[in-house]
Amino acid sequence: MDTKGSPLKGGSLLLLLLLLVSNLLLCKSVASLPICPGGAVNCQVSLRDLFDRAVILSHYIHNLSSEMFNEFDKRYAQGRGFITKAINSCHTSSLSTPEDKEQAQQIHHEDLLNLVLRVLRSWNDPLYHLVAEVRGMQEAPDAILSRAIEIEEQNKRLLEGMEKIVGQVHPGIRENEVYSVWSGLPSLQMADEDSRLFAFYNLLHCLRRDSHKIDNYLKLLKCRIIYDSNC
Amino acid sequence: MDLWQLLLTLALAGSNDAFSGSEDSSGKPKFTKCRSPELETFSCHWTDGVHHGLKHPGSVQLFYIRRSTQEWTQEWKECPDYVSAGENSCYFNSSYTSIWIPYCIKLTSNGGTVDQKCFSVEEIVQPDPPIGLNWTLLNISLTGIHADIQVRWEPPPNADVQKGWIVLEYELQYKEVNETQWKMMDPVLSTSVPVYSLRLDKEYEVRVRSRQRNSEKYGEFSEVLYVTLPQTSLFACEEDFQLPWFLIIIFGLFGLMVMLFVFVFSKQQRIKMLILPPVPVPKIKGIDPDLLKEGKLEEVNTILAIHDNYKPEFYNDDSWVEFIELDIDDPDEKAEGSDTDRLLSNDHQKSLNILGAKDDDSGRTSCYEPDILETDFNASDVCDGTSEVAQPQRLKGEADLVCLDQKNQNNSLYPDASPATQQPSVVLAEESKPRPCLVVGTESTHQAAHTQLSNPSSLANIDFYAQVSDITPAGSVVLSPGQKNKAGISQCDVHPELVSLCQANFIMDNAYFCEADAKKCIAVVPHVEIESHVEPSFNQEDIYITAESLTTTAGRSGTAERAPDAELPVPDYTSIHIVQCPQGLILNATALPLPDKEFLSSCGYVSTDQLNKLMP
Repeated sequence: MDTKGSPLKGGSLLLLLLLLVSNLLLCKSVASLPICPGGAVNCQVSLRDLFDRAVILSHYIHNLSSEMFNEFDKRYAQGRGFITKAINSCHTSSLSTPEDKEQAQQIHHEDLLNLVLRVLRSWNDPLYHLVAEVRGMQEAPDAILSRAIEIEEQNKRLLEGMEKIVGQVHPGIRENEVYSVWSGLPSLQMADEDSRLFAFYNLLHCLRRDSHKIDNYLKLLKCRIIYDSNC
Repeated sequence: MDLWQLLLTLALAGSNDAFSGSEDSSGKPKFTKCRSPELETFSCHWTDGVHHGLKHPGSVQLFYIRRSTQEWTQEWKECPDYVSAGENSCYFNSSYTSIWIPYCIKLTSNGGTVDQKCFSVEEIVQPDPPIGLNWTLLNISLTGIHADIQVRWEPPPNADVQKGWIVLEYELQYKEVNETQWKMMDPVLSTSVPVYSLRLDKEYEVRVRSRQRNSEKYGEFSEVLYVTLPQTSLFACEEDFQLPWFLIIIFGLFGLMVMLFVFVFSKQQRIKMLILPPVPVPKIKGIDPDLLKEGKLEEVNTILAIHDNYKPEFYNDDSWVEFIELDIDDPDEKAEGSDTDRLLSNDHQKSLNILGAKDDDSGRTSCYEPDILETDFNASDVCDGTSEVAQPQRLKGEADLVCLDQKNQNNSLYPDASPATQQPSVVLAEESKPRPCLVVGTESTHQAAHTQLSNPSSLANIDFYAQVSDITPAGSVVLSPGQKNKAGISQCDVHPELVSLCQANFIMDNAYFCEADAKKCIAVVPHVEIESHVEPSFNQEDIYITAESLTTTAGRSGTAERAPDAELPVPDYTSIHIVQCPQGLILNATALPLPDKEFLSSCGYVSTDQLNKLMP
């Protein structure tokens, strides 16, 4: 009796476990929802879903970058007076992004979308190097490293999603891949620890700011495009 | 007049100083906080240092600088609005506000910088409190005690959530009017939230606050909303039903105690066994321990004997299993020396053993049992009770084996007058003279007066091991033919001189002596004595009589003569007559078959040396 019942029991248990794990994964990874189940060619996910996912992703990225910055600040930057010095320019400052609500409202959403794409593209390289350099840091702090890895991954996903959105919003226009080049790698690898830490601090500060910017733009766009300015 | 006015103002100024001096004596103005309520404007506040009687707006100044498009504008600009945000504040409207742009502000007093701060606007967002709180009743519980409500509010008016410029999340707190601690709910993104399980007879207060998503700082709380729930007395219960834990515990304990007492004190063994099972004790199958207690040993013995018999069958295959023979209650088992002593010395006792076998209260076995007889000659102690009776009847011949050793005989034999105990002691030869050691079957007897000699001739008459062929009705044991007449147990006369004489004759290098040789030494032993001893040989108290003795007459003068006859057939057992320490034994001459007489001098047996020569 026992031997007969156990395969069945084991099977149902396994199924339960699978469901549980899949649920957890779903909760954790927001981008794991299949956009087009089965990979159909004519799959047309609604713009609303695309925007919803994009906003969730951008919000998530901003959360992570805030936490990462706070961690770094707590660990390495205390008492070093970085805050007063760290109003350096970010490499994405060259991109002329709207700086307040009026400007954001005046800009056309296509342009805004393109701007978002540019900013996202600009962060591909720095994020990659950030992960590599954080790993090499003294006592590689796991909180920072794990978040950096996650941000890098989600940034790629968001980029894909944004490209899909752009393809849907105004298809046909393919702009050149414009983005700001990041040249801060040498500063991240400096021998002088103080300077190196300052470079990290600066990078994380810029990341937090840009993620907030993108998050804001996307929420704005979502309300404008999907809900017709009536969120 | 002017002078008086001046003095008055001075006095007022002084008093002002006195009053306001205690407020803030830090001396320096400092920024308290900068805040942007809607991500479109922001304002900064500071504390004033020392109050001056004459407030000069220009005394404390705020300058700001912001970086715009990769370049710092080098000049510090002054605060555009000192008024709108209140006292000691600077308000930056939307035209001066740029998000994601770093700002630095500094506070100056009389030209000197007193404080400085740098930030970005998106970092200092703290929304205004929500407005328009209201609540609606959702439902009332069946018991009429609790109710659920839905609380709604509006986002702060200046926050542009409709366009999605700022996204807020809210936190609701509520409490009873009398309480001091607010209960907090999780942050929600929507502007309405249900509150569950409020008691109908209580009044509640509700308040909400908001913050920008991803930020940490909350804004101010909204106004408090008072929730007064309708009073329904239809199904109102006075109190919530609570299990009367106290009563349950009391009754439970009481019931348990009652049950326990019933079980413990009840006569019903079965129930008792169920509740309190008895501890198993070791038990032999088939034997009732009560039997042992009552002393009915014969029954136990029977059972055990049966078990003994069974044992070979069980363990036939396992040759390594040793049989444990159960000897019942035999403390003195190991005390004795040789079996022969026991056999010969305890004649009377054993006869009694064989005969009587009344159940003693000492729990002795029945002497009828042949098994017991074999192993339990020590159980002659068993019949100790009767041995004392037998004692006076003992022949002198009971002192069968007597040690030749002069010393020991004096020491060990005579003093040992305790009747009850038989204590044959193995006496070792003196070292000075290698005298033959003799196994002493001492009997502390009353006839200690008789010098007890070890008479090899007499010894020859005695076979220590004999086969019992029959038991007479009277209880005597009949030995198999070929045995010497034990009745004529001859006493050895101690003639140490004789012994010493004989010593020289002995073949010393032999491992043992021939009986004949030994007998020669003691041939001097007076027959008379032997004869005299022989006479009362046929006492009924003899333990055993041989077949010979049955036929022959009591008077046996030829005992001694017979003694040298080494060819009387004794096919049964070989007995050890003499143990010569350390070298050899004197065996009964009649026991061994003789391969070659030539080897032997006068011996009827082979010495070890001769044996070695025989068989290389």
